Amino acid sequence: MTADAMMLLQATVPIERTAPPKRAPRPIDEARFESFYRAHAASLWSYIYRLTGNPATADDLLQKSFFRFLRANPPTTTDEHLRRYLFRTATNLAFDHFRETKRERGQEIVVIEESAHESADLRHDMMRVFAELKPRERSLLWLAHVEELDHEEISEALGLKPKSVRVVLFRARKRLAELLKKKGLGS
Amino acid sequence: MSESCRRERDVRRAAASGTWTDELRAHVASCADCDAAASVSPWLARFAAIPDREHILPDPSVVWLKAQLMRNTTAAERVLRPMNQLQMGAYLVVAACWAAVLTWKWEVIDKWVHRLTPGQFIGGASVDAATSASVSLTFILAIIVLSSLTIMLALHTILAEE
Repeated sequence: MTADAMMLLQATVPIERTAPPKRAPRPIDEARFESFYRAHAASLWSYIYRLTGNPATADDLLQKSFFRFLRANPPTTTDEHLRRYLFRTATNLAFDHFRETKRERGQEIVVIEESAHESADLRHDMMRVFAELKPRERSLLWLAHVEELDHEEISEALGLKPKSVRVVLFRARKRLAELLKKKGLGS
Repeated sequence: MSESCRRERDVRRAAASGTWTDELRAHVASCADCDAAASVSPWLARFAAIPDREHILPDPSVVWLKAQLMRNTTAAERVLRPMNQLQMGAYLVVAACWAAVLTWKWEVIDKWVHRLTPGQFIGGASVDAATSASVSLTFILAIIVLSSLTIMLALHTILAEE
């Protein structure tokens, strides 16, 4: 066979490319969970606490979030992906909690911890301002400004369309800015 | 309003830290989203920076263990679900059989019950012979079988719970 014929053969016969076998996602193991928990539990607690205004509820929802997270057994991709999944779970649980509280008490209540120290007083005042926002607005602002999630990640965490995130976030910022201005805290 | 502004993250960071560049300031002046973000970022940064109470988070191994226990309980419940459904079915069948048997021979049973009153005991000689005759062998067998089934079901329930 000549070199030309060989080239022609190579050009016409499709080369079978064997795709790398897809590995089934491994369930998260204890060591991975432990490092993931140590990395994200504190920030998740802060998020739930700022959302609900109650440290006991934050404790409860934090554990529930991790239980649900482990029960769902999400495929171990990246930590970032797992973190987003965890925040989404916590957000759903917090909103369920708001619905239950509303049903039980007839209105939405944010319980705020009694303060005893200077930093606690400051937190108390800030929590009161934050509590005047709707739960979704609180969640949006925290995820965008503190957790620094982009709109797509927020939409995933809150179950909103990415287009809606921009609009709702804009309104939430405006509302917070108005509140801050009203209380003489605005810039 | 469809896509987020590419500079939003930079604006948020600049507003939170107070490190502005002229270019970013110019951008904020022309972008409503970034302007809104800049207006609340410093306050939110202060809010996030306040230390939470001396909060002790549960140990990860405890959370892991609890989750495993909950998972096992859920798995056990899933396995036992068909058994529970079968048990419920058995309760219903036995109850339906009792209802059918009692309806079938209600007259006879009613007469028996009346025979147990003190007045009937005193005049015991006048026992209705027809009542005894109407109790068929099938009825007695049905009562025996149903009683056995009821006892077995009750024992099964008690033992399963234990």
